[in-house]
Formats: sequence, structure tokens, C-alpha cells
Amino acid sequence: MPIPSRRGVLFGGAAVAAGALATACTGNDPADDAPAAQSAAGGGDNEKPGRPVTIGFSAPAADHGWIAAITKNAQAQAKRYSDVTFRAVEPTNDINQQISAVESLISAKVNALVLLPNDGQQLNQVARKAMDAGIPVVNLDRIFPDKLSYRTWIGGDNYGMGVAAGHYVGRRLKEKGVAKPVIVEIQGIATLPLTQERSKGFADALKTHGFSVTAKQDAKFTVETGNQVAANLLQAHKKIDALWNHDDDQGVGVLAAIKQAGRKEFFMVGGAGSANAMREIKAGGLLEATVTYSPSMAASAVKVARLVAQGRGMTDLVELQAPQSITLASETVTRQNVDSYLPIGFES
Amino acid sequence: MGEQQTLLTMRGIVKEFPGVRALDGVDLDVRAGEVHCLLGQNGAGKSTLIKILAGAYRPDAGEIELDGRPFRPVHPTAAMRAGIATIYQELDLVDGLSVADNVFLGHERARLGFTRRREAERRAHGLLSRLGHGEIPPGREVGRLPAAGKQVVSMARALSHDARLIVMDEPSAALAHDEVDNLFRIIRELTAAGVAVVYISHRLAEIREIGDRITVLKDGRTVARGLAADDTPTDRIVALMTGRETSSAFPDRPPAATLDDRPEVLRVEGLTLPGVFADVSFTVRAGEIVGLAGLVGSGRSEILETVYGARRPGAGRILVDGRPVRPGSTGAAVRRGMGLAPEERKSQALLLDQSVTANVGVASLPRFSKLGWLDRRRERDEVSTLVRALDIRPGDPGRAVGTLSGGNQQKVVLARWLVGDRRLLVLDEPTRGVDVGARAELYALIRGLADRGIGVLLVSSEVPEVLGLADRVLVIREGRVVHQGDARGLDEAAVLEMIMEGSAL
Amino acid sequence: MITDSRPAAPAPPRLRREVRHAGLVAALVLLALVGLVTRPDNFATSANLVGVLALASTIGVITVGMTFVIIGGGIDLSVGALMALASVWATTLATQSYGPAVMVLCAILVGTGAGLVNGLLISYGRLVPFIATLAMLVAARGLAQRMSDRRTQLVRPENDAIEALSTGRILGLPPVVFVFAAVAAAGWVLLNRTTFGRRTFAVGGNPEAARLAGIDVRRHTLLLYALSGLCCGIAAIIIMARTTTGSSTHGDLYELDAIAAVIIGGTLLTGGRGSLVGSILGVLVFTLITNLFILNGLQTSDQLIAKGAIIVAAVLLQRRGLRTPT
Repeated sequence: MPIPSRRGVLFGGAAVAAGALATACTGNDPADDAPAAQSAAGGGDNEKPGRPVTIGFSAPAADHGWIAAITKNAQAQAKRYSDVTFRAVEPTNDINQQISAVESLISAKVNALVLLPNDGQQLNQVARKAMDAGIPVVNLDRIFPDKLSYRTWIGGDNYGMGVAAGHYVGRRLKEKGVAKPVIVEIQGIATLPLTQERSKGFADALKTHGFSVTAKQDAKFTVETGNQVAANLLQAHKKIDALWNHDDDQGVGVLAAIKQAGRKEFFMVGGAGSANAMREIKAGGLLEATVTYSPSMAASAVKVARLVAQGRGMTDLVELQAPQSITLASETVTRQNVDSYLPIGFES
Repeated sequence: MGEQQTLLTMRGIVKEFPGVRALDGVDLDVRAGEVHCLLGQNGAGKSTLIKILAGAYRPDAGEIELDGRPFRPVHPTAAMRAGIATIYQELDLVDGLSVADNVFLGHERARLGFTRRREAERRAHGLLSRLGHGEIPPGREVGRLPAAGKQVVSMARALSHDARLIVMDEPSAALAHDEVDNLFRIIRELTAAGVAVVYISHRLAEIREIGDRITVLKDGRTVARGLAADDTPTDRIVALMTGRETSSAFPDRPPAATLDDRPEVLRVEGLTLPGVFADVSFTVRAGEIVGLAGLVGSGRSEILETVYGARRPGAGRILVDGRPVRPGSTGAAVRRGMGLAPEERKSQALLLDQSVTANVGVASLPRFSKLGWLDRRRERDEVSTLVRALDIRPGDPGRAVGTLSGGNQQKVVLARWLVGDRRLLVLDEPTRGVDVGARAELYALIRGLADRGIGVLLVSSEVPEVLGLADRVLVIREGRVVHQGDARGLDEAAVLEMIMEGSAL
Repeated sequence: MITDSRPAAPAPPRLRREVRHAGLVAALVLLALVGLVTRPDNFATSANLVGVLALASTIGVITVGMTFVIIGGGIDLSVGALMALASVWATTLATQSYGPAVMVLCAILVGTGAGLVNGLLISYGRLVPFIATLAMLVAARGLAQRMSDRRTQLVRPENDAIEALSTGRILGLPPVVFVFAAVAAAGWVLLNRTTFGRRTFAVGGNPEAARLAGIDVRRHTLLLYALSGLCCGIAAIIIMARTTTGSSTHGDLYELDAIAAVIIGGTLLTGGRGSLVGSILGVLVFTLITNLFILNGLQTSDQLIAKGAIIVAAVLLQRRGLRTPT
């Protein structure tokens, strides 16, 4: 996988951020109990109402803040358009149920589909069926193996996340002048390809600075496992220079474990970009940065689906049609730029 | 019977378990076509011996010959193939399977792995008919049969193996009178066909009736071999089993007149359990033993259980010391001073894994505790006293109850109700599975309890036991009290007649 | 039945229980030796050992309740889900607005209440414990997800008294360790020194005999599940302190960890026999294994293999210990 340039196809982050400041973060904010969502108005002619279209949407059931944000963001983005009818099917973690849900959308003859499959391989067939029926599929994040099964893929960059985290850690350690740093990595679920990609990017980027990972251990994307693994890992290494935690959800537990152990000698980098992590960054603690893998991509996917269905292109590009593939850059959120990212941080 | 040829010979059988020499040189000869009775107190080694014969245990020393050839069953299947079938005291049936499935368990009627249900049921029906019980449906789940029915199924299983030697471990224990007669009829048919039966029972009367010869075991050794079953004196047999001479089995009764002015402990008025028994009324005075006689299924055990609160009556009142007891609550019964020794000791009364102390103390926890906190020393002291008083052996209150003999287990159950002040003891078949020597001891114990002013309500399948032990007898037939009166004026024949009269059985 | 009036007899059960504990203690010593040899600088530090105790405290408290339920002849599959539900309920905005004391009370009430529901279904509704608590597992997780909207609910800064249970120090130990110790000690006393404990053994060993001895078996069963629920509520407080969150993902598969600890601790899965000390040792063995694996940078998948092997070994040993002649 090529490393995308930092300013490459910058569609998700900044553009979305521009329009979404209004939708504030909620969760534990008692003043606002509306769901948090990032969506964007964007600019240009494309925002003017076009031919009315129906966009079908199917995603896994949320067992994690990130997935929850995906569905919310898609919904919120669709609401912005008077010309879009949004048809979301019941989220499910069962492959068979998702297949039949997508089939029902096909027979309802929606104008475009946004699909985040439970498993790209297993839902490939039904996505292909939609494409064959003339319904363009916007494939979100987990990619279909067959290019005939989707019109446009839009997703994050796991390898890029590792790279961004690796570069941040490398640069900071160089600044501090640490010679032989102890670098610790807390992964998500070890068996997932995305975890392996993140770790590879991290190692590759560190190598360019002449560093390597001292120890890594896998958690399970939950607060509790993050806490448990971190508590043990901190005992395994009495002095740590830098810690990268793959996932901000489990990061809550990691931060609690660090506090319980009374450790302060190192800095930590997060992953995914939750609002909570961003607030920690802003407050200026151990957590100095997080690298995004933003669920705002769902809002972008709905945007692209609308344009594709209406036959319009993206106004910032020269081409008359929307691109075939959009890889979001993993952006590094630090104390300096955190204010502009806070609106797109998702509540874990 | 001297012309019958010897079928089985066992010589010098030794079996050791860790810390225990269960068999220490046992000899046994069984002839074809005879009923050979094996006698001995619980713990004498009978069960171990028949398990060796059945291939469940391997002996550590000794010779076994079958038909004059050495025989070493290494596995239960090997014993069955050699024609030895065993009907255990605790019936080894699978409750969830049908009658036919149980009969052919382990040697299913099958072709290519598919069971042939219809053939199995047909053949099972044939076997059951031969046993005089053609009415048992072969497709019925065994768990839904009464104890007597299960016994017949076990017997059918033995027959299905074409056994030449059938070992019966207390086959009559779970049977009522008429069922025992049927059992004896079956045994006679089998022996007439040349099958040998090894018969274990504690009831001497049965042994007199059905047995040919007797072998007596004591402490893992054969102490007498080949005694004639019909004319060996009872006191000689008991002396062999116990190693001591015994006097009359039943203790003396107090004169009837002394009971008349004692207060009533229990009064039962119009007690009814729909479909089981109706309008049962009687009283038990302090110091009085009242016996219920009746067939299995007559409702006698259910009356006991209802009085004790284990069943909820449809109508009627139960009063202890003149005050009504909340019906259908064993907790209320215990609080009001009742105690129960149930029919099935192991499944209904004992915590086999737990110590004698825990088993005795379990019904008197409030007595040994303050605000829920157990005073374990006090519990241990009281239980130790009882263990000594009742001569429970071995005399270690910390020992697991499961390792005790039947008689000693029954004493533990009785000891449970001797803690504190009990008003009424309810005893269901108190001597089942208890050997002859220990029975006399239990009878004396029960009478001793009555003499302390406790009322006793007793059920037994053995009419002589009811007549010998009780002061007053209630005869129950088909859920109704058909006679109530002093035990002294009754003899066994009269009671049996009342029990059977009008009965279709 | 062969042991009547014979002097030499198999060892009484009490002795065997000591032997079983000796096995677990030996396992702990062995693990400690492994730790000392492989990571001499990191293992035997007070920080590490305190950390192990703190990590053991959530599952440890739950295991105390599970031990009671299993000795009483039942099983509680809902423990992890109940802890999650209690943690979520105690960290909702509404609950948090009343302060930490109410949060603690809420967690305990939710856990005990759900445990009571388990008990009612089993003792009065006559459901099999496996099924009733399986249903509760599914339903409680669902409710936790719905209440939390599948988000991780942070403990708000003004309620940091909760977090202090984990970050604070009393005599050098975090308060959660004292909570664990207190629950374990109270559990031991309850099981071994009170009528409640004696009845638990009786109800699990032979429910029919217990009923006929005048024990209200149904009420006792109800109380056992309520007790397990109470332990889940206490565990929820500890997990809130440790992670500073309430979440529907907390306590995932805790039921299996707790049951495993109870079993290797020498409690019979069929009830009637068991030991709380064994259960606690079992928890410590499992927690120590995790600690050693991470100290040595080994994969979590290998930990699972090691745990599985230990469970099998413990059960095999147990069976040897129970074998007696009949």
C-alpha cells in the first residue's frame, strides 16, 4: 500500500471540519443530549438541490464508538440535503442478515447504496448484484475484493495511521535527544489485518528515525482490556519514553492505568481521533497527540453517493465524475491544531 | 439337591482398597438351579463380592471357576457374556430411556448401527410377560415407572442376557408384599430352568421361603458355607453374622394404660390429598409409637409426607401440641418440633459428601447460631455426644457420611432429630437396607426416643415390624384408614387380610 | 459400604481440601519463581505485585459470588453482563449528578436487583440456572448497550472520588485491593462460619434432603443469586475506579474466567462441595499468568493456551483427589 501524501486527497478532515463546527460534541455534556455527528455543508454548486435521489445505507451494529459514529454521521449528512431520501436498514453483525438487508434495498430500487460491510469478502456478491442492477455502490472502509462491486471506495488508511504515529514519536524523541528510547505499542485485536497494518506503518516510520518498537501487546478495543494490558505493560518497563495506543476507546483505560501506576516520564500518542482523546490533548497531559481514522468518512460517503446518483462530479476536481477511490489521510492531532479537530472527534 | 452340579466356585477371594481390606479370603459355591443366599451385615463385603463376580472389580487374590474352568471377568461385558447378570440394589437403569432401551442397553437390537426399535420392544414385551408383567409398556420411559416396575425391568435385562447365574442384591427392598410373591414365582421358574440365583436380603423370612443354601460373610471372610436355608436356627444365623448372641429383636412396650393420660403431640383431622388419600384422622400421644401398615401405593408414605409438610394437603388440619401447623411447609414442621427420616435415605436425607456433624446439624442450625453466626464448637460437642450415645461407627464426627454403612447412616438421620427438643418423629421405612444385627439396635433406639416423651409416627412395609414396634396401628388401604387400634391385639395374618381385602391385586 | 468399623479409612474430606490448596499454592510459587527468573528486576517489585492484586480485584469479587452459587448447586452466566450493566447505570448523567456515593449505591442496587431477578426466575419460576442466567446475560448486555447508547461513559471529574479508589493509597495499597480483601474475607466467614454457608452446602449437596430438613431451599437459592448480583455490583464499582468509565463492553467473558477460577479452586461444578480460598487462589493464578506473559512480551493467544492447560490439569487433579472406593 502506498503512503499517501499528507495533502493528497484531503476530503474528510478539513473540508468536513469547516462546516461541522455547529454540531458540538455531546456524550457526557449535560447541556446537549443530541447525538454527536459530523457532517458538512461544503461549498460550491454541488450543494444546490439536484434531482431527488434515494440513498440506501447498511452498516454493522455498533459495538464500538467508532461504528456508532459512522451511522450517525451518515444520517446527519443525508439530513442536510432536501433532495436526498435516506433509507438505512437495521444495523446487524450477522453477515446473512446484512446480505438480505442489502437485497431489500436493491429491490426497493434505491438510486445509490452506501455500504460498510461486516466482511468485504462475504458481501462482495450482493454488492456486485446491486452494481449489475445499475445501483452505484459507495463502499465504505472495508473494501470489496472485486472492483466491479463498487463505484467508489472511500476509507481510512491503517498503514498511514501507523506511519503518522511513528513520525510523531520519532520527531519528538529526536527533539528530546533520547538516544536509545523505550517505545511501547498497545495494539487492538491482534488477529485483525488492520491491526497488523497499523503496526507495520508504525515500525516502518520509526525505522526512518533509526528507532524500533521495544514491546507491544494486544488489547481488544475495550476500555477494560486497555486498562489491563497497560497496567501489566507498565510493570514490564520501568522507564518508557513513548507509548502508542492504537485506539482511543481502549485509550481511556490505558490512561487510567498510567494514572494508577503514577507514571509520568513518557508521552503517549492515540489512534482514531475520539473527542475524549482530543480533550485530553487540549488539557495538555501525557496524551500529546492522536492520529485520525475518522468516522467522518461516512458523511463523505453519503456526499459522494448523492453526487454519483445525480451524475455530478466533485467541484474541486477537474473531472466531471466523482473519483473511483478516496483514501483519507490519517491526520495528526496535536495541542496546536486540536481546536480545529475537536468538532470531528467522535464520542467513544 | 446333592445331585446338582456346581456352577460357580470362588476360593480365597481378596480385595483391597486404599486403607481397607474389603475381602479377606471369601469362599462361595453356587450350584446350578439353586437359590443361594448371601448373608452378612452391611460392610461384611457382600457388595464388593458381587461386584467382583460382575466384573466391576478385579480381585487381588483368589480363584474363580465357572463350569470347572478358570474365570476372570475383566469387564462387566465379559461377565455378562459368560452368563452372569447382576441386579444391583441401587437399580442401574437410565431413567430417560424407554423400558426396551434399558433391557437391551449395551447389547442393543441393531442392524448397521441403527437400533431396531420395534423388534427390541417386541422382545422386551416377551421378557416382561415371562416375568408376569406384560402390562408394562416397553415404550414407557423408565423414570416414570414405580420402584417395583423398575425392579421388573432390571430382571428382564438379566433374562435378556440368557443368564445362567443371576445375582440379586436386595431385590425385595423396594417391593410390597404381593410384588415379593411375584418375584419368588419368577425365581422359582428360573431355578426350575437350571438358572442359579445368588440372593442377598436382610429379611430372614424371605430366605427361609425361597432359599436353598446360605453362605454367611463377616468382616470380609466366609464364616459359614452351604447351611440349609430352611432349618438353620435364626439365632445361629444372627450369631454368625454379628459374632454375638441376640435376644428378642423388639424392645418391651410400656403398658397401654400408661399412655392414655399422656398429652396429644399430633392430631390429624380429615386430612385429604386428592387422588391419593382422603379423610385421614388420628392422633399420636407423647411417648407413643403409631405405625401405619399398608401396601406400597396405599397412600401411607404420602400421609407421612403430608403431615411433615413435604406435600400440601387438599383439606384437613394438622395440629402439634394443639396448635395448627402451616400446611405444605417443611420449615414450619421443623420449627414446630417435627423430624423426618425419609424412605430414601441417600437421596432424601443425607449430604453424602459432608461430615456427620454437618448432616446432624443441618436441621438445627438456628439452635447452634446467634444472628446467623455458627457456634461450631457447640455443634461439634452436641454431635459428638450423640455419636457416642447412638454408637455411630466409626465414631468420628468429621467423617463423610457417604463412607458409613446403611445402619449407621440411618442413625445419623435419627441423630439429626435428637438435637434439641423434638415433639414428633416421622419415620418412613426406618430399617430399609439395615442388616439384622443393626435392626434390633435401631428398634431399641426408637423405643428409647418414645420413652423420652417423643411421639413417633412410623411406616414400614414389613408388617411384623409395625406390629412388634408400635403401640397402636393404623391400617391403610387405598388411601383410607380401614382399622385403628392397639397393636397388641393384632397378628400379622389379620393385618395382611385387612391390607389385601377388596384389593384387586 | 465396606468401611464399617474399620480402623484404617480413606482420608476425611477436610484433609483432601488442604492438599488441593497445596497444589494451587505450589502453582503460585512456581509462577513466582518463573517471574523471578525471567524478569528479576520487574516481577518482585511492590508496584508489580500491587498491580496484580488490583487487576485481580474485579474478577476476584465476582468469583466470590460465583463460588457461593456453584456450591449451592447452580451456575451464574450473567456475572460479566451484570457488572457491565451496573457500571453503565452508575455512570449515566442522571446518576452521576448525585455524586459518587449515589453512584456506588446505584451499582450495588442494580447488581443485587438483577441477581434477585435471576434468583426469582430460578427458584420460583423453576427455570434451569443455565438458561435463566444465559437469558440475563443477553438481556443485561442489551440493556447496558441501550442505556449507554453503546458509548463509553466517562466518570465525570467532580466524581473523582470513584477514581481515587484505584489511584489512592492506604498503607501503600489502592483501596480497591482492600475492597477485594474485605469481600473475600466476608465471603469466607459467610461460607464457613454461618448458618447461611452451611445451608448453601446442604442445598447444593442434596436439595431434597435440605428441603426435608426444614430448609427453605427456594428462598436460599434466591439469596444465592442475589449475593452473586451484589458481588457484580461491587465489581462494577472497582471497574469504574480502574477504567474511569462505565461501558457495556466491561466484563466480557468474565463468567468463564470466574467459573474457571472456581473450578481450579476445587469446587465441584455439581455443587455441595467447595472452597472459597481455592477460588481466590485460582483467580490469583490466572492473574499472575497474564502478568508474567505480558512482562515477558508474549502473545495473549499463548496465555489462553496456558489457561486452558491449567484448567484441565486442575480438574484431573481434583478427580484423583475425589476417587474413593465404594
